[in-house]
Amino acid sequence: MTALLRRYRFIVPYLLLTPGLVWLAIFYVYPSIQMFISSFWSGSLERGFTFSLSNVHNYTDGLNHYQEQIVRSIFFAAAATVATFLISFPLAYTIAFRAGHYKNLLLFLVIAPFFTSFLLRVISWRTILGDDGLLLGPLKSAGLVGDDVRILATPVAVISGIAYNFLPFMTLPIYVSLEKIDKRLLEAGQDLYATPWSAFRKITLPLALPGIFAGTLLTFIPAMGDYVNAELLGQTPATKMIGNVVQSRFLVNNDYPTAAALSFILMAGILVAVAVYARLLGTEELMSSAG
Amino acid sequence: MSEQHPSLLARAVTRRRMLQGTALAGVAAFLAACGTAAQSVAPSVAPSAAPSEAASAAPSEAASPSPAASATPIPSPAAELNFANWPLYIDQDSSNPPKSPTLEGFTKKYGTKVNYRESISDNDIFFGTIRPALQAGQDTGWDLMVLTDWMAAKVIGLGWVETIDTANTPQFVANESDHLRNQPWDPNNNKRAPWQSGMTGLGFDTKVVGDQTSLAALWQADPRWKGKVWLLSEMRDTIGLTLLKLGKDPAAATNADCDVAIAEIKKTVDAGIVRSFLGNEYKEGLVKGDLVLGTAWSGDIIQVQLEKASLKFNIPSEGGMIWTDNMLIPKGAAHKYTAELMIDYVYDPEIAAQIAAYVQYVSPVKGAKEAIAKNADKTVAVLAANTLMFPDAATLARTHIFKPLSADEEKYFNDQFSTLQGN
Repeated sequence: MTALLRRYRFIVPYLLLTPGLVWLAIFYVYPSIQMFISSFWSGSLERGFTFSLSNVHNYTDGLNHYQEQIVRSIFFAAAATVATFLISFPLAYTIAFRAGHYKNLLLFLVIAPFFTSFLLRVISWRTILGDDGLLLGPLKSAGLVGDDVRILATPVAVISGIAYNFLPFMTLPIYVSLEKIDKRLLEAGQDLYATPWSAFRKITLPLALPGIFAGTLLTFIPAMGDYVNAELLGQTPATKMIGNVVQSRFLVNNDYPTAAALSFILMAGILVAVAVYARLLGTEELMSSAG
Repeated sequence: MSEQHPSLLARAVTRRRMLQGTALAGVAAFLAACGTAAQSVAPSVAPSAAPSEAASAAPSEAASPSPAASATPIPSPAAELNFANWPLYIDQDSSNPPKSPTLEGFTKKYGTKVNYRESISDNDIFFGTIRPALQAGQDTGWDLMVLTDWMAAKVIGLGWVETIDTANTPQFVANESDHLRNQPWDPNNNKRAPWQSGMTGLGFDTKVVGDQTSLAALWQADPRWKGKVWLLSEMRDTIGLTLLKLGKDPAAATNADCDVAIAEIKKTVDAGIVRSFLGNEYKEGLVKGDLVLGTAWSGDIIQVQLEKASLKFNIPSEGGMIWTDNMLIPKGAAHKYTAELMIDYVYDPEIAAQIAAYVQYVSPVKGAKEAIAKNADKTVAVLAANTLMFPDAATLARTHIFKPLSADEEKYFNDQFSTLQGN
């Protein structure tokens, strides 16, 4: 047996890859091909759909018709990513460098809310952000904001909902990269008369970049396609994201071709955005410096 | 939400659109979509619903699909019946998991195990799951399904339902409410049996907005409700009511009427009066106070009044919409005779009263009102006086139905309505 294995050693990596590849093939590649085919359909649910390459206009039509929602999705996702970063970085920094014995407890607290379902968390935000909810209720009764001020059903609600829901995806990668920083580098910097700020700028921040990079991608990509926050916290025509359009095309209008085309537009858009981002940040260099 | 009694909470999430807009629905829809895509090539794929069904069809019913009545011996009830309905649309007791006294009673009477599934949360999505089988001339796995009239009309028009042998349903023949009979899409009253009806009108919090009777309020920038108004995300309800506001008949809506209605709704949306287009979630907003005025379903408001007594439903002075959900036997159903027995059974006024007291929509069964009035429980008996559950002729005269749209019209209406909602 061992002799056999030795002889066919080159097979081993493929064997190890098999479960993952089979999984991907069944649950990603196959549906993607199906979806790609249906993006070239025309017709209706009652009469059935027919495939034709001339239906490539599904893509241009989708782009033209839903420009507003696409642009809004990019804006919401970007704003949420920035907000998540602004919250996560100091948090991760504190946990990595200042938490002492409380490190594990604090890390647990970052993840703790995620033991409940995503949907429940969004719905509970509806209660918090309600017109007379936990946040606005006291402010209104104190006369600090006007009675007609609302957060629900505004872009603020959607962006903050997304930011909240993706917080650990930003915090944890940044924490990991900060945690790995060799403290002696900072001491050496201080010995060479670096101010704390320049030591942070020249040592900590560059070494944390791989974490920031991973965190922004893990936040931005799902945020672009998110529709639950817009659906439950936005609930108004002016906060609909591209995910809501795909959802309603699929579910309400049975317009599978447009929904499929929009999904591919979204996928392509994200790929391009990520490629540009990776180029700008020069990941390969970063990865090697982190390793 | 934490202060709510669990059973109230359960009731507060009734049927229509319950799952729409949730992540779950996304998955379900995707699966449904896959099913449709595959239909033309893979007729052997059984529809997802009730898989145990087809194989175990009781031999006793093998003969019943034959239309030649004289040659067929009297069939006996099958061992099981597969019944697809909307969530929280039948009576439930307080046991855990809840049981339905109506279904238990049916099992006791006929020995049939009812596989009752709350599989329908949207007409279009459910239709998408059974369409492949129907098109291929196969059993869908369901013996009885409940669809809203416009969808029922569509399925009947396609010839995809079994004709109900009314000899097996004497109570249905005798007790169906007169105003539901002789629909243009079912002139012989033998393709469908109404399950429940409901009305769409104005729902509001009297404490905040007072008593509102006119749809025009939805277009008024009154500080009491500006930004706290919702409209239903159900196209036929919202466009129908808007047409009534404009003095047009929803039963004769044209594409041009649709455009006019959309433009009219856009006015109030752009003015910031309307906040959201919602399905069932409007009830949560109403209870919390984020929403105070909008278009609502009658049964819903009766249900949430238990949580907030200041809520009220009015049929607008311009008129309200009425819709009916119907039991249909899909073509090729394995247990057609047993399905007919079920139809007959729920048209027993006592049983109908039992269902109506729980779901609080409009029962299609004559005598249900009298049966409810006799209930020993006073809180149930008073429901008989509720004109939203038992509308009198004057109330019914103020309600309108939506035109059965052709496929092209429906696509046009849906597209316009989606665009209005921002998707």
